[in-house]
Amino acid sequence: MKYCSTCKVSIRGTKERCVLCGNTVTTIDSKSEAEEIFPAVPPYYKSNMAMRIMIFISLSAIVISYTIRMLFPTTLNWPIFVLFGVGSAWLSLAIIIQKGKSIPKVILWQVTFIPLLAVFWDWQTGWRGWSLDYLIPILYLAAEVVMYVTAKITKLSVRDYISYALLAGIFGIIPILFILFEWVKTPYPSITCAAVSLIFLMAIFIFQGSYIKSELKKRMHI
Amino acid sequence: MRHQEEVKWSRLDNYSKVFPATWSPKDPKVFRLSCELFEAVEEDVLQRALDITMENFPLYRYVLRRGLFWYYLESSDIVPKVEQESQPVCAPIYTGLRTNLLFRVSYYKCRVNLEMFHVLSDGAGAIRFMRALVFNYLTLLYRERFADIALSGDTSSISEQMDDSYNRHYIGKKAFREMARNEKAQRVKAYKIRGTRTDEYRLSLIEGSMPVKAVIDEAHKYNATLTVYITSVYLYSIYKTMPGRNRNQPIVLTVPVNLRQFFESQTARNFFSTIHIGYNFAKNPDDLEHIIRSVADDFQNSLKAEKLNLQLYKAVSVERNPFARLLPLPVKDFFIRAAVKSYDRHTTSNISNIGKIELPPEFGDYIREFSICTSVRKPQLTMCSYNDRLVVSISSPFKETDIQRTFFQTLSKAGIEIEITSNL
Repeated sequence: MKYCSTCKVSIRGTKERCVLCGNTVTTIDSKSEAEEIFPAVPPYYKSNMAMRIMIFISLSAIVISYTIRMLFPTTLNWPIFVLFGVGSAWLSLAIIIQKGKSIPKVILWQVTFIPLLAVFWDWQTGWRGWSLDYLIPILYLAAEVVMYVTAKITKLSVRDYISYALLAGIFGIIPILFILFEWVKTPYPSITCAAVSLIFLMAIFIFQGSYIKSELKKRMHI
Repeated sequence: MRHQEEVKWSRLDNYSKVFPATWSPKDPKVFRLSCELFEAVEEDVLQRALDITMENFPLYRYVLRRGLFWYYLESSDIVPKVEQESQPVCAPIYTGLRTNLLFRVSYYKCRVNLEMFHVLSDGAGAIRFMRALVFNYLTLLYRERFADIALSGDTSSISEQMDDSYNRHYIGKKAFREMARNEKAQRVKAYKIRGTRTDEYRLSLIEGSMPVKAVIDEAHKYNATLTVYITSVYLYSIYKTMPGRNRNQPIVLTVPVNLRQFFESQTARNFFSTIHIGYNFAKNPDDLEHIIRSVADDFQNSLKAEKLNLQLYKAVSVERNPFARLLPLPVKDFFIRAAVKSYDRHTTSNISNIGKIELPPEFGDYIREFSICTSVRKPQLTMCSYNDRLVVSISSPFKETDIQRTFFQTLSKAGIEIEITSNL
């Protein structure tokens, strides 16, 4: 035990100075308690070096591509692709980092954002229609399959993926709209996607209907 | 697809709704209840004691999840593991990234720590768990000696433990509606303690352990109770470290009140309210005697049944508002954060006495003391007692220790013997 004569208090542990006033302390009882009371926790350095390097490279790439275009002008505004490409990559990465632990959740967020990015790219590159024709239906279809397969492989319990599977199934129905409003030139991927999603949804409702109901009740309680 | 058993879940009780919204790495809303024994803790025995304790506290198996409109608690099959203390005091528990249990049990040398995310329970709820844990630990360790000792005072059923007492005691009376309306205008901006933040937002904790009797004797010299006396000395310490230009601002302390004493409840979840104790040093004399008299009056006025009912009404009526209920969770979180921030401007600090911890008297030879501390945004005082040991802990996010120094020096000048423990 130590003693601070300024504060007139005993101090436990191995302190050399009084934690209250900062003066040196005297040892009054050397037998007992020469031990630390709290463990020394080393500082938690969070340097994030990899992240910093990636940010630096991304921003440099954008600056350099614009510089090159200014020095060697072209009719095609190609640096914009670098800009969008870097932006898309970071958005995807952010989703994975944010939603990290749960694979179905990551898949769901990816199928929410990738279609938006795809439509944006398609529109920026002269609207050839590939995003609605192929990418979105195939993406939704893939999401359903991947979600089911990973859930089975990683042995997720039903409650950990069922709501995400349900939402993915609902997304999968969206391509019906593409056909109804005649937004697509090649209808086959959209038709397949909508049909498979419908079957997928029916399976969920028939086999896990009560589960979905209680899960919805829980998640949507007001 | 395999059929699965339906999962149990529960809404959050009133105050719990605030914590997931206001959580941040700076203030993870975690509090720690520690029990220091005279001998080193044995890990495997503590683990077994924890396993036994968990059987009687199903609430502690719940994890926090996000819904569309509210957070909710959901039962899980995660088994809590005892570990040696390796993280800073009151390190974050809920981070939103993983689904984990909302408490952790660790040990270091002679000390057992129970750290808890405030969503799960308040201090009084945590004490029940801690008592059961320590009881099980000591009875396992000294099987023969404590063969026929029982833990008294825990006779509640599981459903009583899970009770949302706020809603059960809510009476939506018109009278309260009007009282609430009349009360609004009186709030004033309180003095804000400033300082340099510690590195990595670690908590600076200084605990003073002292004999209960000496403190009560000193309090009785002023005709005050222990809580009133400590609160007054704390107010005085804040005043002493206040910069001159702020002296016209009042110092306002919030004091959580355990509502279980006023409303019938056995809940293991949150059931507390807060009262305000204020003192303006610009308008009143700055000697301890005057402060104590004013603090005692404040306590007496605030702890009336009517006032507490009003507090309960105010707290519950917000969450019952149909418009508020329909807001999506992120929007709710935003408004809760804004409301808490504006509420914080009216308070200087927080002082909390979770009271006397009672265990069978035979355990006196094995338990040195109990202490409680909490993660904070501004310096806060917490205290609890066991037998004749009162432990007053001041947690602070700042490097400065002037308030702590003044506080403990004032007590030691009054002739109270103090043992200081600190993580600094």
